[in-house]
Amino acid sequence: MIRLTDAPIDKQLKVVSIHGGHGIRRKLLSLGFHKDDIIELDSRSIFRGPILVKGLTSDTSVALGRGIARNILVEIVDDKK
Amino acid sequence: MTTKNKHPDIIFLGQPNCGKSALFNAIAGLKVDTSNFPGTTVKHTHSEVNVAGNVLNIIDLPGTYSLNPSDDTEKVALSHLFFHKPDLIINVVDASILGRSLELTQELIELGYPMVIALNMMDLAEKKGVKTDIQKLERLLGVPVIPTIAIHGRGIKKLLDKALQVLAEVKPIPPLKWTRDVENKIEEFERAIPDDFPVVGNRRFTAIKILEVGKRFFIQTLETMNPDLKKARDKVRSDLEKMHGVPAYEVIAAERHHLAAKIFEDSSEVVRVKMIPFLERVDDIIMHPFLGYVILIAVFLAFFFIIFQVGNPLEELLLKPIGDLRYYLSAQLGASILFYLLDGLLQGIGGGLAIVLPYFLPLLFLMSFLEDIGYMSRASFLMDTFMHRIGLHGKSVSPFILGFGCNVPAIISTRILESRRDKIITILLIPFVPCTARTTIILALVAFYLGPFWALGFYVLNILLLGVLGRIISFFYKKPSPGLILEIPTLKVPSLKNIWKKTYFQLKAFVKFAWPVLIAGSIVLGVMQFFHMDRVINAILSPLVAKALGLPQELGVTLVFGFLRKELSLIMMLQALGVDYHNLMSVITKQQLIVFTVFVSFFIPCLSTVAIIWKEVGKKIAFISMALNIAVAVILSIMIRAFLSLS
Repeated sequence: MIRLTDAPIDKQLKVVSIHGGHGIRRKLLSLGFHKDDIIELDSRSIFRGPILVKGLTSDTSVALGRGIARNILVEIVDDKK
Repeated sequence: MTTKNKHPDIIFLGQPNCGKSALFNAIAGLKVDTSNFPGTTVKHTHSEVNVAGNVLNIIDLPGTYSLNPSDDTEKVALSHLFFHKPDLIINVVDASILGRSLELTQELIELGYPMVIALNMMDLAEKKGVKTDIQKLERLLGVPVIPTIAIHGRGIKKLLDKALQVLAEVKPIPPLKWTRDVENKIEEFERAIPDDFPVVGNRRFTAIKILEVGKRFFIQTLETMNPDLKKARDKVRSDLEKMHGVPAYEVIAAERHHLAAKIFEDSSEVVRVKMIPFLERVDDIIMHPFLGYVILIAVFLAFFFIIFQVGNPLEELLLKPIGDLRYYLSAQLGASILFYLLDGLLQGIGGGLAIVLPYFLPLLFLMSFLEDIGYMSRASFLMDTFMHRIGLHGKSVSPFILGFGCNVPAIISTRILESRRDKIITILLIPFVPCTARTTIILALVAFYLGPFWALGFYVLNILLLGVLGRIISFFYKKPSPGLILEIPTLKVPSLKNIWKKTYFQLKAFVKFAWPVLIAGSIVLGVMQFFHMDRVINAILSPLVAKALGLPQELGVTLVFGFLRKELSLIMMLQALGVDYHNLMSVITKQQLIVFTVFVSFFIPCLSTVAIIWKEVGKKIAFISMALNIAVAVILSIMIRAFLSLS
């Protein structure tokens, strides 16, 4: 389990848990960003403040500030799947 | 919602960027009458259209991700939905991101009002490789679905026919059921709701909303009004939490999420085409860690260049007749009170018409354009790092840019910010963004008399000041900004109609709110002149104006009461000094010119700005804002004067 900020680029990731205030969690939920979703870090995120996340489950792109991304824990999905 | 007529109300509701406004506009093209929504936000439109002999009242609400509002624009949309029961909802859904969009759709089905789904952006979905079986989707949702491509006007007739049919039928929508254990809990709570409780929609929807809502205010009200219900709610909530290990609202959100994903899978087939490669490549460039910034700078240089290219000739064209009329009035009426009143009125109207509008209109238009193609959200992404340095995040970028046009709509647009902290910091900083009124002063004084590099230097100083102030203000907040959460929509071809509509409503907000205040201030100033109060005020202000700032004493009123007629500060200055524009330098020095410009630029921007701050975030912040502007203007002018005396 790693923080979203430490996750590798262009590998499928599964959202394990989302921490942080209720306001933020609700906002993420409403944008279609849920626990157990499969997401991907966009390569355009490198060297940046905010990171760009592609939700593969809901097929959307969301920019997240680092502070928020740090509170999202993910695990790398086995490539063979 | 209207009491005027009994035409059926049809509400357009959808998530942001689903093409809702384009669809609305296409239909409103058949309009009988369009008007702004009384007393609410600038983004509400209501229009009466005639469809096959039936007059319909169609209402466009701001985009919302869910029926649990997280920012002020969403709150406006929802309070409308809950307080004025519509006869029909048209839920506009982006077919290219159907899975996520169905979460809002489900909430609307829970609400149970008659509804038709416009499955929009079918072309984009097709390009993305999403194929949806419409009949199957209809069956799964229990709601009619009509495919549309709003920007090409496709599917609109069918949509309206279906809307009329549903309006005539009034068939209840069967609720979509969740997992058994969650359903049981919701039913348990539903039973606890007393019969006299003000139910919205139906009992199940009300129960779900009470379980979901997180507002402390609401819970307190519930506790005093109905302690038993509060107890029942707490029990069901903690049961759900125990069962699933996450807060109740997350359990419910997850139910919707899973059901949405399931409906999507069952109704649609996805042939991964790996997005539209061309747009993907464009995105790679405009969001590139280096090139992206080069493009950003180029875009905004071009942005301001166009605004001034359009605005400048317009301003000159409009200013001349107003000046002529003034001379005519002066010759006809002499120095009577009537002249001063009319002059105040004329200058108030003229200032708005000839100085603000010529620049503000192109700015609004270009900004709506950038917003519609999807560039503004990318600019927010690019600027996020810099905004963090001043304690904010990327979403504050667009209010700031709007502020270059006029501070008033800029302050209204801070409604997009979720956190009150971010909102207040942004609102306190906006008055330091030079609006068109102040920019014309900077151009007329600094750029004209000292050269373009001085003006550029002035802007650099201004941006540095914004940064320093941002840091200072955020220092007072213990908690940092929650940070950026922003959807980056697919790049889109903009619709001209939509851009015009956005421009029009922003403009209307300015005309309706800022202009009357501008005119009132101007009349007050005219009356003050008639009673020669300016001399008294100049004498009182002399220690500040003459001693501290080293300016001619006559400029006292212009400096301090300039906020009543800021856009005319230049003219007021010339009048006070009794010179015309081209002879200005014969009465004041370069140093005085700079000190004057600095003071005017950073002092209280105008009465309307203070009024809108008051309206948006309250009296306290409005006073803090004024105090901050006064302090910065005085301190900075004195510093600049000292600095210029040294060199």
